[in-house]
Amino acid sequence: MVLLRRALAALGIAGLIAAVLRLRGTGGTPPQQGGWRELSGPELQ
Amino acid sequence: MPARVLLLGAGAVGARAARQLAEADDVEEVLVADPDAKRRAAVVASTGEQATDAGAHGADVTGTVDAVLLTSPNGTHLAHARRHLAEGRPVVSCADGIDDVKDLLDLGPEAEARGVPVVVGAGFSPGLTCVLARHAARRFEAVDEIHVARSGTGGPSCARAHHRALAGTSLDWRDGGWQRRRAGSGRELCWFPDPVGGQDCYRAELPDAMLLVPPFPGVDRVTARLSATRRDRITAHLPMLRQPHPEGLVGAARVEVRGRQHGVQDVVVLGVLDRPAVASGAVAALALRWALAGRVPVGAHGLAAVEDTVGFLAELAHVGIKAAAFDGTAT
Repeated sequence: MVLLRRALAALGIAGLIAAVLRLRGTGGTPPQQGGWRELSGPELQ
Repeated sequence: MPARVLLLGAGAVGARAARQLAEADDVEEVLVADPDAKRRAAVVASTGEQATDAGAHGADVTGTVDAVLLTSPNGTHLAHARRHLAEGRPVVSCADGIDDVKDLLDLGPEAEARGVPVVVGAGFSPGLTCVLARHAARRFEAVDEIHVARSGTGGPSCARAHHRALAGTSLDWRDGGWQRRRAGSGRELCWFPDPVGGQDCYRAELPDAMLLVPPFPGVDRVTARLSATRRDRITAHLPMLRQPHPEGLVGAARVEVRGRQHGVQDVVVLGVLDRPAVASGAVAALALRWALAGRVPVGAHGLAAVEDTVGFLAELAHVGIKAAAFDGTAT
C-alpha cells in the first residue's frame, strides 16, 4: 500500500512538473505569412 | 589552361563532384582515388572520358595534378591536405567534423606563406550555408547573429556523421566565447524550403561556428542545429542499428542572419533545398575551380571567405542548385 501511494505520488509530481514545463516552454511562433521564393534578379546581381 | 585535379574519395559526394568537374571547361582531367577499387571504377566509368583511375590514394599521380579535392570520410583529410599543401597545391576539403575542420584551419599560416587556398568545409552545410551567410550579410553594416540549420544527409559517411553529431557536444559562439552544450538539446522549430517545411532541430557536434566566426568579426552569436526525429535522438548514443542508405533523400539547409543597417535591426533568412550529396558535390567542385582561378583568398578558411557570393550562387544556380529567401513574419 505504501509502495502504491509512493508510486502514485511520484507520478503526480512528475505530471505536475511536466505540465509546468509544457505551459512555460516556448517553441517560438511559426511563420503565419509569406514563404520561400527563389533568389533571382537583383539579389543575384 | 585547363587543370588536372585529384579527387580523393569516390563516395556519394565524390561521384557528383567528379561529374561536375568533368563537365567544366577549365578542368582537363579528373583523377579519381579511393581505397575501394570497385567504387572507384564505378565513378570513373560513370564520369566519362575525362576521368582516370588514380589508385587507392593517388600517390602515383601526385606530382602531376594542379589541385586536390578531398571528399573522403572525416578523419582522413589532414594528412592529404598537409602533403599537397607542402607541394603548393590548392586543397578543397568537404570535411564536416569539428576535429577535422579545426586541424585544417590550423594549416592557415602555412597556406598563407605558400600563397595557396585551403578551403575547409566545402559541402552542403557547412559550405553552401557559409556562402549564404556571407550573401545575407551583404545587407547589413554589422552582423549580430548567424544561425544555421540543416535537414537530411548525403551518403553513408554523412549519415554516420549525423548519427555521431547528435551524441557529441555542440560548439556555439556566444558573446565573444565558445560555448559547449550537450548535443540533442535545445529544440527549435526551423522552417526549411518546401517540401521539407518545419522540422525540429537540435544542437549537434557541428563545425559551422568555427567556420563562420572568423569572417564575421564582432558577431555575438553563431549556432548550428541539425534536424532529428525522436528515434534519431534516442538511438544517438547507440551504435547505428542498421546500415545507412546509399544516399539520403531530399535535404535542406537554412541560414538566419540578424544584423543592423542604419541602426535598425533586421533579419534575413536564406535557404536551399536539394539532395545533400548532389549539392555538396556541386559546391565542392565549384570551390575547387574558384580556388584554381584565384577567386578564393589564400589561407585556410571556409566558403564564407568568398567575396563574390553573387557569382558563386549564380554558377550554382546554373547547375540546378538554387538558393531561396524566406519572406514572412511571425505574427
